[in-house]
Amino acid sequence: MSEINGKVLKHGEQTRTMHWVHMIAFIILALTGIGFYFDIGFIAGIFGGEANSSLVHRWAGVVFTVGPALYILLNFERFARFMNTIATITKDDIGWLKTMGGYIPFLKGEVPPQDKYNAGQKMLGHLIIIGCLLMILTGFPMWLWRAVVPAAFLAFCYNIHFWVAVILILAIAGHFFLAAIHPKSRVEFASMMMDGYIDAEISAHHNEKWFNSLQEVKE
Amino acid sequence: MSTATLTDTEIIKITNKCKACDHCTSVCPTGAAKGLLGQKHYIDYKTCINCGQCLINCPFGAITDSSTVDQVNQALKDPGKTVIVQEAPAVRVALGEEFGLPIGTNVKGKMHAALRKLGFDKVYDTEFAADLTIMEEGTELIHRVFKMAGVAGFEDRGPLPQFTSCCPAWIKYAEDKYPAVLPHLSSAKSPQQMFGAIAKTYAAKKQGVNPADMVSVSVMPCTAKKYESERPEMIASGFKDVDYVITTRELASMIKDAGIDFANLPDEEADKLIGSSTGAATIFGVTGGVMEAALRTAYEVLSGESLDKVEFKAVRGMQPVREATVEIPVKDLGITLPVNVCIVTGTKYVDKVVEDVIAGRSNYHFIEVMNCPGGCINGGGQPIRHEMY
Amino acid sequence: MSIFKEKSVFTRRQFLIGSGMLAATAVITGIFAKFGFDAYAVSQDYIAKRAAGLYNLDEKMAIRKSHENPEILQIYKDFLSPGEVSPVSEKAHHLLHTKYGREIPAMIEELHAHRHDAA
Repeated sequence: MSEINGKVLKHGEQTRTMHWVHMIAFIILALTGIGFYFDIGFIAGIFGGEANSSLVHRWAGVVFTVGPALYILLNFERFARFMNTIATITKDDIGWLKTMGGYIPFLKGEVPPQDKYNAGQKMLGHLIIIGCLLMILTGFPMWLWRAVVPAAFLAFCYNIHFWVAVILILAIAGHFFLAAIHPKSRVEFASMMMDGYIDAEISAHHNEKWFNSLQEVKE
Repeated sequence: MSTATLTDTEIIKITNKCKACDHCTSVCPTGAAKGLLGQKHYIDYKTCINCGQCLINCPFGAITDSSTVDQVNQALKDPGKTVIVQEAPAVRVALGEEFGLPIGTNVKGKMHAALRKLGFDKVYDTEFAADLTIMEEGTELIHRVFKMAGVAGFEDRGPLPQFTSCCPAWIKYAEDKYPAVLPHLSSAKSPQQMFGAIAKTYAAKKQGVNPADMVSVSVMPCTAKKYESERPEMIASGFKDVDYVITTRELASMIKDAGIDFANLPDEEADKLIGSSTGAATIFGVTGGVMEAALRTAYEVLSGESLDKVEFKAVRGMQPVREATVEIPVKDLGITLPVNVCIVTGTKYVDKVVEDVIAGRSNYHFIEVMNCPGGCINGGGQPIRHEMY
Repeated sequence: MSIFKEKSVFTRRQFLIGSGMLAATAVITGIFAKFGFDAYAVSQDYIAKRAAGLYNLDEKMAIRKSHENPEILQIYKDFLSPGEVSPVSEKAHHLLHTKYGREIPAMIEELHAHRHDAA
């Protein structure tokens, strides 16, 4: 196998910016939410008490909504490509899921070639999109229309908001672990969090189907 | 500065289950429910009128009302006590909901049967006292009208417009915020309290019971009635006129705790003497009902005629402030009076009406005020309905 | 050193899936809003149902006017205004009427003074 020397531009500047903004907003939302919902003094205290935590939470929610919304409006093509990638599930993806990409020590087996995002990442993509949509849909009524919606609907929003938060926080914790800590997967870290590039040989192996569709621009 | 004699009763409490959702502040008619979004809420008892709207509208059931169920049970077990009970009109079309019956099912007969099974010695009916209220308040209104018309001998009566006085949340609201309007309130007590006064006098005598051994209980759709029974002036009988007030919800839990199969109880009537009802008394529980009941009697008494159609549909409905004009022939004066009436449901909407009266620019003669939107049927003591579909 | 980049090919499939996703978001938002409006309607109609229960009961009752209640006529004749039906009698005034606000303390004193008159 020939050695591939080079790097792949995986995520552009707008994408990386949106990811940073969304990530910071998410962290603030999770912290403030836990702080004022569970009345945890030292967490709520970071933001100046329960009422203030709720205030910060709401405006972080606005950023959390507007960020991706702007990105989608200004980069519809990138958004569409992303949706297309994660919505395309093939036998190769099922094969990845059966072995969990080889990340779990006792699950052995051959991992089929993957797209720009592997099957696990595709699943996470769906989870985040649906989860964020639900958080946004239930979040704004609890703030803006809390006086006019009926009590039952408010309780319904709170319940969904709470459980989706639990699921998302767990999912993001897993995502963070793989993206920043696990030695095999954190090789991709810089591609989203720094300059956007990933080593070509690594990508050729991990994102084989996508790599084969790229164009080479020799320096 | 409130002119109320009894304040800070802490009947309504926001518990630790509060999720700081801030829904109650928008429901509270006086702004007594306080707190910022995200902050645990609390009740300012100086301005709370005990109506319980916050309680039935809390999405998380985090608000409670103080309970005297234990004391009632103790009295029921005491062989030396004669425990009598009255039940408000609004209770009988909501109690069944706690036992799986459709909303609005009339369970009047089963309610009486269940109360007997619980051990109440006499099961009467607040509706009797509602009729009494119409007699007293209707006559008072007629006298005030005569005063306005310049009839001799009525100079010492109260001013028009006259406000109804059966809603204790409204009474406290007026005492707290608009003491200038108090002379306009009917001097008649509420049916609950009228009942209490005659129970320990008239009924005690007729039953041959020592009123000191009589325990007077009322079943109400209302948490403010708990406040009303504690007001220090409610001792006209020589004793505490109404000893304990339990809500529709509390009665339902007593019935369940006793293992009574409510839905299959046979219908029973109330005890005679102070237990019989009329249709006029029955509609007291809905907004416009007191007005309509009063009109049925006032019309016939003033005109000397008999109504073949007793419905006054113009005063019915759910809009917060409604008005109507009823032409009543007054036989004794030989004229027909256009009586202008106003019905307010929801204390949030009463301010303008009251301010017009105080400023002397109100055209109304009779105004019914109920704190709870829709009337007592939607009171703070009723079964809580949190369906989504 | 080579740099690899995506080709700037925007396929129809990508466009359709992207637009489809936005449309799906709009639909889900619409369904959620419908939940809200339905919940609002339900949260109001229990009141009307209970009201209907009372009005229906009124229609079925034999006596529909307060002044025709025989027990009412009885209590006036026997107790409140002996021998006749005369509301706002002295006894009625004592038992069935009240005062408000600042007039209450004086009323309470008067009630205590006339305890023996009650029955």
